[in-house]
Amino acid sequence: MFRYALRRILWAIPTLLATSLVLFLVTTLAPAPHAVTEDPMEDEALRGRFLDLPRFFNSNPPDVRTRTAQAVALVANGDAHSEAGARALVWLGGAALPWVLPTLESLPPDARGRVAVALAPLAERLELVHEGDLTQPDVALLFWTHFWEDRALDFTRPAVARAVGRLVEHGSDLREKDLLSLDTFALPEVVAAMAAATDGLALERLTRLAHHATRRGPELAADAAPGDVRRAIADWREWWFVHDTDFIALDGADRVLAMFTETRYGKWLKRAASGQLGVSVIDGEPIAEKLRDRAPITVLVCSVAMLLSWLLAIPIGALSAWRRGKSFDTASGAVLFVMYAMPTFAVAEVLRHMTLGTSASGARVALAVIALAVGSFATLSRWQRGAMLEVVGRDYVRTARAKGMPAWRIAVVHALRNALMPTVTLAGLHLPVLLGGAFVVEEVFALPGIGFETLRAIEAHDAAWLMAVVLVSAVAVTFGLVASDVAYGVLDPRVREVLRRRERGPQT
Amino acid sequence: MTDHRFSHEPSVAIDLSRRKDGGRSVRDSMYEVTRVAAPYVTMARLSLRRLVRDRVARAGALVLACLALVAVFADVLASDLPVACSWRGTTYVLPNVTRPAALEGLDIDRMRAQEGAGDWLVPPLVAHGPLETAGPEEQLLPPLTRGHPAGTDTLGRDVFARVVYGARTALTLGLGASFILVAIGVLLGAIAGFAGGVFDSLVTRAVEALTAIPTLVLVLVVVATVPHPTTATLVWTIALTRWTELARLVRAEVLTTLGTDYVTAARAIGATPVRILWRHVLPNAIGPAIVAAAFGVASLVQMEAAVDFLHVGMPDTMASWGEAMGEARGHEGAWWLVVFPGLALLATLVALNLVGDGARDAIDPRQAPVGGGAPTEGPGQ
Repeated sequence: MFRYALRRILWAIPTLLATSLVLFLVTTLAPAPHAVTEDPMEDEALRGRFLDLPRFFNSNPPDVRTRTAQAVALVANGDAHSEAGARALVWLGGAALPWVLPTLESLPPDARGRVAVALAPLAERLELVHEGDLTQPDVALLFWTHFWEDRALDFTRPAVARAVGRLVEHGSDLREKDLLSLDTFALPEVVAAMAAATDGLALERLTRLAHHATRRGPELAADAAPGDVRRAIADWREWWFVHDTDFIALDGADRVLAMFTETRYGKWLKRAASGQLGVSVIDGEPIAEKLRDRAPITVLVCSVAMLLSWLLAIPIGALSAWRRGKSFDTASGAVLFVMYAMPTFAVAEVLRHMTLGTSASGARVALAVIALAVGSFATLSRWQRGAMLEVVGRDYVRTARAKGMPAWRIAVVHALRNALMPTVTLAGLHLPVLLGGAFVVEEVFALPGIGFETLRAIEAHDAAWLMAVVLVSAVAVTFGLVASDVAYGVLDPRVREVLRRRERGPQT
Repeated sequence: MTDHRFSHEPSVAIDLSRRKDGGRSVRDSMYEVTRVAAPYVTMARLSLRRLVRDRVARAGALVLACLALVAVFADVLASDLPVACSWRGTTYVLPNVTRPAALEGLDIDRMRAQEGAGDWLVPPLVAHGPLETAGPEEQLLPPLTRGHPAGTDTLGRDVFARVVYGARTALTLGLGASFILVAIGVLLGAIAGFAGGVFDSLVTRAVEALTAIPTLVLVLVVVATVPHPTTATLVWTIALTRWTELARLVRAEVLTTLGTDYVTAARAIGATPVRILWRHVLPNAIGPAIVAAAFGVASLVQMEAAVDFLHVGMPDTMASWGEAMGEARGHEGAWWLVVFPGLALLATLVALNLVGDGARDAIDPRQAPVGGGAPTEGPGQ
């Protein structure tokens, strides 16, 4: 039994992967905002959706080393592109230094000078020189040679990790200044510490460091409101998720792994799997937080509607099967059929028109539940009737009749008990329909649930929210299906017996 | 004719003319034989007979036929140009369909006002097209106002015309989508069941994955993500996600059929796999395909209405029932915006479901008498 459940759950994994592929293909439906342009904002939009990466396999994942080498080559050429190269070098910042400075020697003399001068804005950012100090190639070269002789030991990962740890623990302006001179080289540890930090003062220092190195993103004050802190951290993590390979080097196994993770699908999957679903463009809130805020209403409406329709559908479906062909069966059949065919949005709209003027939120929730329950009630009743019909014709029901049992006892104990299981467990199949319906009723009755927010997101073209919503609902439905399968196997002794026999017998 | 043993002539020939009664009795009895044996009772014929006898399904089919008529003759029922007219010496037949350049910028009201000697026109039932907007004094008119039997909506468009042309939109899209989804479902299901192995497990995974995605949510997201969504986007999204049910049924059908004796026999006499698939396996898939097509149309009609009702990104160049109902939001007294398109929608969906249910019962060999039956997913929301 346990083995069956486990196998069913394991089978959900490839299904989820396939689902993710489908959803990924949907995201790529939206075309790229044309080729890379000079406009840095547009470039950012491109990178935010990973459109700069290949789809499924990246034979040469870029990291700080390759990016630095490219930028240095551009600057060294000294032609029209050297300006862009210099900009790239300054953007890469401190993280590029371990890959530039030791190799300066190997460059031709004039190229060496050009690179050293191109790095001048970086030296200003590190607050080591003033503007205009390093315009001469000789001076600049001398400065960077000395710098590297002095600081090479600080530019190692363990050293940075220690420094950031101490800064978070004890804080001090001196330590902060030290880290500031490491610039973007310290970013991996700084961003990681941000996500873990709880202390307002530490967060202030960390965000200041990150902001100083990248010239972007929010800075936090020590006494910032919790909402601001949440948004700021989400923003930094999101930015880091998109841009991390600009500042870290990939070696050995990391590099091989990056061939698969540094792709559009890989990034997308990683983001989805880590529950880090991006940041909403509407209000800058992290998507995961927003989902958590909105989910209760959707879950409430769905589960109450489901429960309500079960409670009504089981007796009505069973009774109409028991009285098959009688007037109750015919009448309930006709009514159920119309209810079954009616789209949820029409039911909701009609209900809203009939109850104009009720604006209490409780009443709106109740109406939404009713509108949603109509469709699932009809579906479940039809299932229940079908299941009951199967059972009513069985021998044991006839035997019970022959024994002279009271009819209600046969109906409830012998027939209904056996006909109940399919309806209860097959509800999993109904889950996608229910979720879709919930979106509609939330919109009609203006309930601030996931569906309501989704329609706002559609208006605002909030791609991150939309993808998160499809993903979450697909995962929820998959687990619903698995749960109903397992429940069916566990609860129904007949199915259990079949499964047990199959487990003992040869596997097919 | 050299060797009798290898000819295909019957080896024993009965010369009927030498019989006493001129061979009539033998001939009659042979006729009797052919007459009894002629109507092969095939599964398909049985199902069809059952479907035709099903009074409820027949009613559904009747409603659908009426809707189809409305959709086809929408131009006669409601249009801004006459059905036939003679204007300035030229006679036009169906100018509202052909839209001749000479009548550019005219509509029935204007033509009536400028009518000269010798000009005549045959107006359609309602003298307004579905896209014809009007000024504030013509907006939100209640039903039975002069010229607008079902009233007008927030843009002054005639609700009757919107409902009539909505039938055209709904049925065209529904048929288009269900055609595609039946093609995909039958093809993938048949190949998966027939080929087995990797392809089979790929299709099975795809079916499971697509089942897990709520269709309405996916449609909303696609319509929002695609830069310029059209009705074709909707059709493709639904067709590409709703084929799963059918593929599953067809695959099961194929697997069952492959185990039967007649397939083994066909194999034994050396039939090619393609022939087995085409002649022996696929005919069994016709039943599920018809059911899936009926529910597919229902599914699309409903989905299109829901998407248009929510006003998400779809261009409103076509009349749609859902869009008409969506207009009612914010205009609380305008019940006619909900009732007329709502009734049309409901009638369509009920009829489609009746036909679908009838077809499902008819092809069920256990012949489940009324409704109910196997809990397969219906049209979805």
